[in-house]
Amino acid sequence: MVNITAKNLTKKYKNTIAVKDLNLQIKDKEFFVFLGPSGCGKTTTLFAIAGLIKIDAGEIWIGDELVSSAEKGIHKAPQERGIAMVFQDYAIYPHMTVFDNIAFPLTISKVKKDEIEARVKKTAELLGISHLLNRKPRQLSGGQRQRVALGRAMVRRPKVFLMDEPLANLDAKLRVQTRIELKKLQLDTGVTTIYVTHDQVEAMTMADRIMVQKDGEVEQIGTPDELYNHPSNLFVAGFIGSPEMNFINCTLIEENKGLYLDAKEFKISLPTKMASELRSYIGTETIMGIRPEDLHESESAEGTTQENAFRMKINLIEPVGPYMLLHLNLGQIPIVATVKETKAKAGQGVIMEMDASKIHVFDKKTTNAII
Amino acid sequence: MEGKGLRFPKPRRIVLYFVLVVFVFLFLLPLWTDFTTSFKSIHDIIYTVPVELPSSPTIDPLITAFNIMERPLLNSLTFTVVAMIFSCLLGSINGYILTKIKFRGSNTVFLLFAIGIFIPYQAVLVPLVLTISKLGLYNTVGGLILTHTAYGITITTLLFRNFYGLLPDSLIMAAKVDGAGTWTIYRRIVLPLSLLPFVVAAVFQFTSIWNDFLFGVTLARGSEAMPASVALANLKGTTAFNYNVQMAGALWYALPVLIIYLVLGKYLIRGYMAGAIKG
Repeated sequence: MVNITAKNLTKKYKNTIAVKDLNLQIKDKEFFVFLGPSGCGKTTTLFAIAGLIKIDAGEIWIGDELVSSAEKGIHKAPQERGIAMVFQDYAIYPHMTVFDNIAFPLTISKVKKDEIEARVKKTAELLGISHLLNRKPRQLSGGQRQRVALGRAMVRRPKVFLMDEPLANLDAKLRVQTRIELKKLQLDTGVTTIYVTHDQVEAMTMADRIMVQKDGEVEQIGTPDELYNHPSNLFVAGFIGSPEMNFINCTLIEENKGLYLDAKEFKISLPTKMASELRSYIGTETIMGIRPEDLHESESAEGTTQENAFRMKINLIEPVGPYMLLHLNLGQIPIVATVKETKAKAGQGVIMEMDASKIHVFDKKTTNAII
Repeated sequence: MEGKGLRFPKPRRIVLYFVLVVFVFLFLLPLWTDFTTSFKSIHDIIYTVPVELPSSPTIDPLITAFNIMERPLLNSLTFTVVAMIFSCLLGSINGYILTKIKFRGSNTVFLLFAIGIFIPYQAVLVPLVLTISKLGLYNTVGGLILTHTAYGITITTLLFRNFYGLLPDSLIMAAKVDGAGTWTIYRRIVLPLSLLPFVVAAVFQFTSIWNDFLFGVTLARGSEAMPASVALANLKGTTAFNYNVQMAGALWYALPVLIIYLVLGKYLIRGYMAGAIKG
């Protein structure tokens, strides 16, 4: 059982707090992603777990072993933690052959020569780089270097994999391919993995669970599905999903016993199920969020009084391939929608229906999700 | 593109090349004179112009000069090579510690090293002589090794620190995760990647230690440890007019540095460029 626990983890650099009072539980065999914009503290958290930096407060447990504790003055060295790490720039040793690179952690821990050879060869085979063992890193492509770095991490049979944006330096096509291979590898080996990235697509596709960080604080921890469908605040809602969720300033009002979100330019009637939960917020200023795919072109003719359907002007149509991006204006409010197809052209008007059951409502003051 | 420029020289280019050639000529003239005079007899010195080739070439001046300078040349070679190795190694270790194993006050330590570069040798001569005498190293090759190593560390530390600044930190972190300690990382990762700065530092140290006169003349006046630079200066005083022997001595003196540049010149240029081109 290799679960990882962080309790009240804090790391300061001179005047800034890189990680603030972080609490985290990673389960055995989990593929866990730290997601956030640069400078959010995700790499610092990873380095703290790796033991590459000392923490200023809190504790870190790997399995049932306390590896870092600021209060008890415990700081286990990286090699005593049973971890292996893959770096963004791969950090493979340029003066060593691929074989020596992969063998390095074993030679350091004085493993017998024939065992080293057997393990390196097996690892290389698994990664499909057996034919490269005698090459130097400069003779390898980016993808091959990445595999060598991975091989060096795997050969030690670590309890935990730590990966710091390992795909960031690959080109788009290779990134998608390697993403799938990495995920498969993790499933096959069942090694608990922490993966740091700023790319929400990577996070969504690979993770069992994701922790979204911002300015050193945890915004939300959850499965990709939870983050996408139930973001706990405005930041997570905006960070996850592409194209981004639409945000519109609204006030919650009551009319004829129904609840409405009033954005001045339009009013949305909320389904009764939602309304009961929102009743106590009547009068508060809110931000309404709706994902582009939750807007649909209305089939009914113009002039009908269909609920939550509004006339919008198309500014621009971006054909992406599987869908089309409509850049719309509802009065002064810009809205983006994704549709499968449309007969309308840029400059024309179109009736768009908002799926009120998919709407998110955030408190404008706290930016936390109300529903 | 350059080839094209050479084939169709514009008037300005011709002027430029002319000026450059003149300067090269002026720069090489003393060396040429040194070379020709070294092969001249006393008779030739009086009856030929210095830049002229000798009328009857002889290697007698070279032999005479070598006999006088043999021991000093050996002394110089010994302390130069040893002090060069020590100062390069220590500079490399310093540079590694200062860039990759930062500790509290490491910047202050580096600042102190940097200040060392600006202290003129003359300012420390008296305390230096006293220290070296107290250590019982006055008039010994060992005293010169110690002095040159100590004075070399400042500049080699600066040089290695700049080079190691370009080495990605992730390499060091990866080695740490792989289980290597501070010293193992230096030996297995940092040192093997330091060929270029070692060449640059070695050439620089060799030249400046070999060329040093001041420390040599103050710390090793006796023949046991006298450096070649001091012996060369002494050649001037032995007899009045034998320029040929003095010139021959200068030729012997210049030889090791010349060889170093010829052998390592290629690496030296690459080393100087190392910072400019991203590997």
